[in-house]
Amino acid sequence: MENFAYHRPAKVADAVKAMKKAKDGKFLSGGHTLIPALKQGLANPTDLIDLSGLNKGGVKVGAKSVTVSAGTAHADVAADKGLKKAIPGVAILAGGIGDPHVRHRGTIGGSVANNDPAADYPSACLALGATIHTSERKIPAEKFFTGMFSTALKSSEVITAVEFPIPKKSGYAKFPNPASLYAMVGVFVAQMGDGSVRVAVTGAGPGVFRVPEMEAALAKNFSAKSLEGLSVKSKGLNSDMHASAEYRAHLIGVMARRAVTAAK
Amino acid sequence: MTEGCVYDSDSGQLLTGSYMDYCMPRAADVPSFKLGFTCTPCPTNPLGMKGCGEAGAIASPAAVMNAVTDALGVRDVPMPASPHVVWKAMQPMKKAAE
Repeated sequence: MENFAYHRPAKVADAVKAMKKAKDGKFLSGGHTLIPALKQGLANPTDLIDLSGLNKGGVKVGAKSVTVSAGTAHADVAADKGLKKAIPGVAILAGGIGDPHVRHRGTIGGSVANNDPAADYPSACLALGATIHTSERKIPAEKFFTGMFSTALKSSEVITAVEFPIPKKSGYAKFPNPASLYAMVGVFVAQMGDGSVRVAVTGAGPGVFRVPEMEAALAKNFSAKSLEGLSVKSKGLNSDMHASAEYRAHLIGVMARRAVTAAK
Repeated sequence: MTEGCVYDSDSGQLLTGSYMDYCMPRAADVPSFKLGFTCTPCPTNPLGMKGCGEAGAIASPAAVMNAVTDALGVRDVPMPASPHVVWKAMQPMKKAAE
């Protein structure tokens, strides 16, 4: 690990300022991705701007949406009673991220900002049509996730909260990589108040994506049966030593049916 | 069922170099055991001791893989019998059934 300057601002504006001043700065949240990268020399920032001083995190359940502040740990999202009632799919998703260590340190803001292609949260954001609140604007999820490890965030922009609209029903199912426990395939299904359905897949491709054919079938009839016979093409999906693209395509169907069955 | 070393075919680099890629079974991956003892003391020394190493490690993988091939009705499944490998082994049967 190389030397770096450490900052722990108490205000969002100060975090932005520190980043603008830094030659090659990095924001630090829970650190479960960044710290291992530092240790292995894969990231060598000149400045580390620790966001843990900004807020203690927290979940606010409103009439139409649930707002989770960026510093909220996955375990706190999973345990929040109001959120669990409003959007059960998000509670299930947060409670299944990584292992207990990751869930108690890793944060929703960190996960969303990193946009790991195998992270869980991006699927919930895209399926529910979440809004990402930042230090300077509000970004809809459809415009936020722009590709593998890349987002619409500017280099000095900090995520402050993620706002999820409350759906009629939501469900999440994932097939974890047996070794890393990251999603090999994760599918989030949301049925909104107007009856429309959104299906978002993580882990299978270079970034999170929707499956319009499944959405159309589920909008007609929201049941696992509607998905029978529907298959996703393997072209463009990830293929590695853990799973071929064909297997991932197969798992998308299985996980989608499980997510629909589990949705409430 | 989970453990396998994978090398890159071009460079020879070990790909399963960390526990993020090499799946060491965790507590949740391991079943409960029934233990049985077979006691045959060695007659040629006073304590009845024998050298004994990984006897269980020799027979158990064969038993597990035989169970997998039997369940799938195929002749061979390469180790480790991960979900991906089992799914692949089932594809010819699925095609035959269609």
